[in-house]
Amino acid sequence: MTAQTGTKIKVKTLNKASVIIRATLLTLTIITIYSFITFDYKGLNLLDSVIKTAKMLPTMLFEPHFKHFTFLEALYKVLVTMGLAFLTTLFGAVIALFMGLFAARNLTNNTTSNVIRGFVAVIRAVPTVLWVLIFAVGAGLGSVAAVVGMSFHSIGYLVKAYSESFEEMDNGVIEALKASGANWWQIVFQAVIPSTITFLLSWTFLRFEINFAVAVAMGAAAGAGGIGFDMFMASMFYSDLREIGVITYFILAFAIMLEVFASRLKRRLKLNA
Amino acid sequence: MKTLLELRQVSKHYGQETAALSDVSFNVKEGEFVSIIGPSGAGKSTLLRCINRIVDASGGEIFFNDENVLKLDKAQLKRVRRTIGMIFQHYNLVNRLSVIENVLHGRLGYKSTLAGMLGLYSEEEKQQAVKMLNILGLQEHTYRRADQLSGGQKQRVGIARALVQKPKMLLCDEPIASLDPNAAKTIMDYLKTISATMGITVLVNLHQVDVALRYSDRIIGVNKGKVVYDGSPKEMSSSMIHKIYGSEAGELIFDHGGQNAG
Repeated sequence: MTAQTGTKIKVKTLNKASVIIRATLLTLTIITIYSFITFDYKGLNLLDSVIKTAKMLPTMLFEPHFKHFTFLEALYKVLVTMGLAFLTTLFGAVIALFMGLFAARNLTNNTTSNVIRGFVAVIRAVPTVLWVLIFAVGAGLGSVAAVVGMSFHSIGYLVKAYSESFEEMDNGVIEALKASGANWWQIVFQAVIPSTITFLLSWTFLRFEINFAVAVAMGAAAGAGGIGFDMFMASMFYSDLREIGVITYFILAFAIMLEVFASRLKRRLKLNA
Repeated sequence: MKTLLELRQVSKHYGQETAALSDVSFNVKEGEFVSIIGPSGAGKSTLLRCINRIVDASGGEIFFNDENVLKLDKAQLKRVRRTIGMIFQHYNLVNRLSVIENVLHGRLGYKSTLAGMLGLYSEEEKQQAVKMLNILGLQEHTYRRADQLSGGQKQRVGIARALVQKPKMLLCDEPIASLDPNAAKTIMDYLKTISATMGITVLVNLHQVDVALRYSDRIIGVNKGKVVYDGSPKEMSSSMIHKIYGSEAGELIFDHGGQNAG
């Protein structure tokens, strides 16, 4: 097909991919509109609820106080949550690094890659919280189930992220080392990992942030301890808005610290070899 | 002079229909500087990659140093590969590593898996790497990151990496196609010197006919996967060049008369 002057010139041609994308977007829009119309709000007055929440927020954020724990206790609890996030990210990263290598199409054969991809797709399809509850059947609700379940989902997430980073790398480098007689493990450690290290670190930190948030939730939902459990107690047991405010500030502070640390590390890696 | 490399009726098919190479046969003697010229897509890159089995040939026989390359097992192939250095158009260095680390990668084929993985090189190997960097005039860039170098410098690192392998032969896949004329000349001069002083056989894919004519001992012209010319640059005629490139007479930018003037 050639563009013709005189008539309207189309910049995009209609092909199969663009038709499918448009159809998907249209379907999603229709579903969204339909669901908002047909929601069962159970007598909830939207305006009323918004006003109530707006009144609560200042109490929570501007009048925080310590009642059931001290500052140091709270700090310790946040560190426990942080520890849970760190441990599960570490487990996930180490295992996912090796599985990711075997899942990257440029480093392995198609069968191995497909088997691992299929396996981690199943892991990812089930939410982290559900994995924790599944492992809780065997290990009982608590930190063990939380660590195993969260590590499990981290592996699924990081294998995909890592293997796609490996696939992005320049195949010529692999070819060059292969031509010099280097074997697979040597190529991986001398070329593949050094070339992709910034991507690997970005993904790992992103997962760490996710795991921190999940670890807070796990404290409440799976009895994994940490600040999440205190939040659960403050909201469900004592209904103490001001204490929830304190906990929110603690979590926020740590999340920001994490972000600052991550971006500093990345900048340093970019500058040095 | 002893024959180092011999190709007999080598062919390569991708799928059923497309033949990248068909019945390619030629010999290369020890220490010879041979250029392969031909249009894009003629199969030059595939040809080079069949020799060290980065690409597996579909048929024929390749003898390197009296060994049939196509029949080697994994360990033997590794042994042969480390005696063949390879240089690429896009240099193929690990950008995030330093120059000397990239050069030392040429030693990986000689090392145990673990030592190679961890990058533990012997003092002797490091000495050798430094020596190569000196020869190629890169001594002040030893600890710079590979991506901070210019194209010509990167290609010299590529050559140094190939040379620390102590190769018998260098395969160069379009080594100067991404370089400006100045850097290109430097690289070709280095290759010529290396071939002459170290006795290393050089097989180089080129797009620049004039460069091929000036530097080579022999020229192999490839068109559509077939060898259409194999002879000395002196016997190369304008009409032969047009035959290799499949163009009408007078259509090429290259001026054949220029080779004797320069």
